[in-house]
Amino acid sequence: MRCHYCEWRCDLTADRYGRCRMYYAESGEIRERFPDRWSTYETVRIESTLFYHVHPGSQCLIIGTSSCNFSCKYCSNAFVAKQDPALLQDKMYHLSAQRLVALAKKLNCASIVFNVNEPTVSLLSLQRLAEQARTAGIALGCLTNGYCTPESADLMGSIFSFFNISLKGLSGQFHQQYIGIPSVAPVLRTIRTLAEHHHVEITTPVIEGVNDHELDEIVAFISSVDNEIPWHVLRLLPEDRMKGAAYPSIEAINAGLETARRTIPYLYFHNFVGSDWVNTLCPNCSTPVIERFSLGCGGDQLQQLKLEDGRCRQCAQPINLYEGSYGN
Amino acid sequence: MGTDPVTNTSVAIIDARQWQNQFDLKSGAKSDLTSDAIRLMRDTLARHPYPGDLEGGSNRWVTETALDLLETYQPDFILLTYAEQYFTSRVANLTEEEKALIMLELRLEVETFIDRSGVTPIIVGRGGVMPTQGFIDISSLDGLGVAPHWSARYAGIHEPTPRDLDWLQNHPQVARVVAKESYQRLFREEPQEPEIFSDYLLVAQPGYAFKALGCTMRKPAMVPAAGPELPCLGPDEPVAELTGIRQVIDTGLRQGKRMALILLEGVGVEDFPWSFAPCTNTLDWFCYEPGDAQLLAITSGRHRLHEYPPGYLFYVREHRNNLYPLSGYFKALPGGTIGDDYLGRSIAVGNKSMAMHMVAGADLCIECFSRNHFNQGTLGVVHRHDKF
Repeated sequence: MRCHYCEWRCDLTADRYGRCRMYYAESGEIRERFPDRWSTYETVRIESTLFYHVHPGSQCLIIGTSSCNFSCKYCSNAFVAKQDPALLQDKMYHLSAQRLVALAKKLNCASIVFNVNEPTVSLLSLQRLAEQARTAGIALGCLTNGYCTPESADLMGSIFSFFNISLKGLSGQFHQQYIGIPSVAPVLRTIRTLAEHHHVEITTPVIEGVNDHELDEIVAFISSVDNEIPWHVLRLLPEDRMKGAAYPSIEAINAGLETARRTIPYLYFHNFVGSDWVNTLCPNCSTPVIERFSLGCGGDQLQQLKLEDGRCRQCAQPINLYEGSYGN
Repeated sequence: MGTDPVTNTSVAIIDARQWQNQFDLKSGAKSDLTSDAIRLMRDTLARHPYPGDLEGGSNRWVTETALDLLETYQPDFILLTYAEQYFTSRVANLTEEEKALIMLELRLEVETFIDRSGVTPIIVGRGGVMPTQGFIDISSLDGLGVAPHWSARYAGIHEPTPRDLDWLQNHPQVARVVAKESYQRLFREEPQEPEIFSDYLLVAQPGYAFKALGCTMRKPAMVPAAGPELPCLGPDEPVAELTGIRQVIDTGLRQGKRMALILLEGVGVEDFPWSFAPCTNTLDWFCYEPGDAQLLAITSGRHRLHEYPPGYLFYVREHRNNLYPLSGYFKALPGGTIGDDYLGRSIAVGNKSMAMHMVAGADLCIECFSRNHFNQGTLGVVHRHDKF
């Protein structure tokens, strides 16, 4: 039978596991090969997960599984995302949904964030987790590449309350050459769908000379969906098959964001330690309302929160924040 | 340290390749302080971009950067850490030939530094690594299992149930389950934050690693052996224990010698590439892993396990304050280290990130800024501006 979780729509059988190697089909149902197996569980402050507008300064539980449906040339988690998941199972944690939620509560986490690999490869485990999290009032969020089917986007919307969707570029050629997918169209569709009813942030890793010329077009797209979507532009650290490539120039990328900064109010440029562009400025009076310290891929941290009831203290402008619990 | 506020301001300079930024080390606030020492640091960082943990040339970077600072700053105390061999061995099972080659390269690197600098060295291997025999997964226990600081052999269990304790005490790969009162007595000093200590300290059999909260996602191919002895090559009499290393440095400095403490990560008594005398790596039955506590014991000359105890609730401390954002688990300058107490000039250079600038106490510190082997560039810290 056809898998309906992501746009590859792989043909699954009892021993054909699809592109992500995480599902199989049996008795007319899609099943997980490795249910409730997690590559990590860890508690961190949410700023280090690429969410700047979700419960600032809060503790969250981060989790991940294994595998991915993309084959990005520069993957930074290739040791989990690209390995055959069957070979990783002896290193995984076997934790039930109840246990993960209990851990999140014990650790005073406001949310659970799936941020290691692509969530569409583990949707059944995540559905079970969502059921438990709902009971406990803990919100679920994820980082996703957005390459899911429309029906799967709806399912993701029922599981997660907030999303960071990776928009890696716009051109088909870039996606074919660097990401290994035929087209970006499903990703754009997912962003539009999820942003209608959920908190969405977007991330774009920049490869100098490859996708940096698209920054203005990308911001135009984001603005057309919702001008208040926070956009994280990352200086890509070339890993995996691009290891050894030159590090993108911070100054050159920053200069290329001039138009974008005039277009949307919440633009961040980071993934390098000590970035000057990680604070949230009030869209009305430009006062820094959330100050952060960038630690690059080691994770960022909140330094100061200068808001009152989610508004700028200077001019009372509301700031786009997700501060809900499960499903809100 | 001095009383002038400027001399007391520790400044951090980040060099992310062709781009630098400057911060107050403690608060993380942007800093526009200028001093001759800061200018020197900025120039030095710009001349020595970090090649990466695993790309080759990491140890060479330590030597070259240190020699550069030696020429421009003329320090009398130098602390170096060489870690490339440790990075390489963590991620792959090396053959004996590969290991021997790596140790030979390390030896040449260290000897190059010693020959060109004319220092009196004391060289210490921080303990070898051994193939990972297996993992002890304590994630499913009712209590909370914690193993931060890249710890493999030690973990803590918080609020365990009798069932947890029974399971742990009967686990063939768990060597010890030590109650809080007992291990706190062993660690000697009064804990400042007793609430973050685990109810029980867990010790794995050699070669086994705990899987728990705080572990890295990348599971190591090799783990620290955390054996009872460290190899040590000093200028005079053999050093009996790791807390005695400091005294050798202090004595040499008092005699007007230019002293270098050279720490080799992932090097134990079996790999040390010179003849050596063994030095104990223990506090009673407790063997140090090559973590922050061991570094502090070496540079302070006393056991400070209460400050960063194994298996503690690291996230509670992190949540209490956001000070020293560039300093990893450290939330305060430890003080009382060699560089802190020495009145002459001092430097520290190393490719073991995060800890160096905190445990050395040196006037000028340079370390790579890598996280999980992702190369973010370099970090320079100026603790003292007044000696230049």
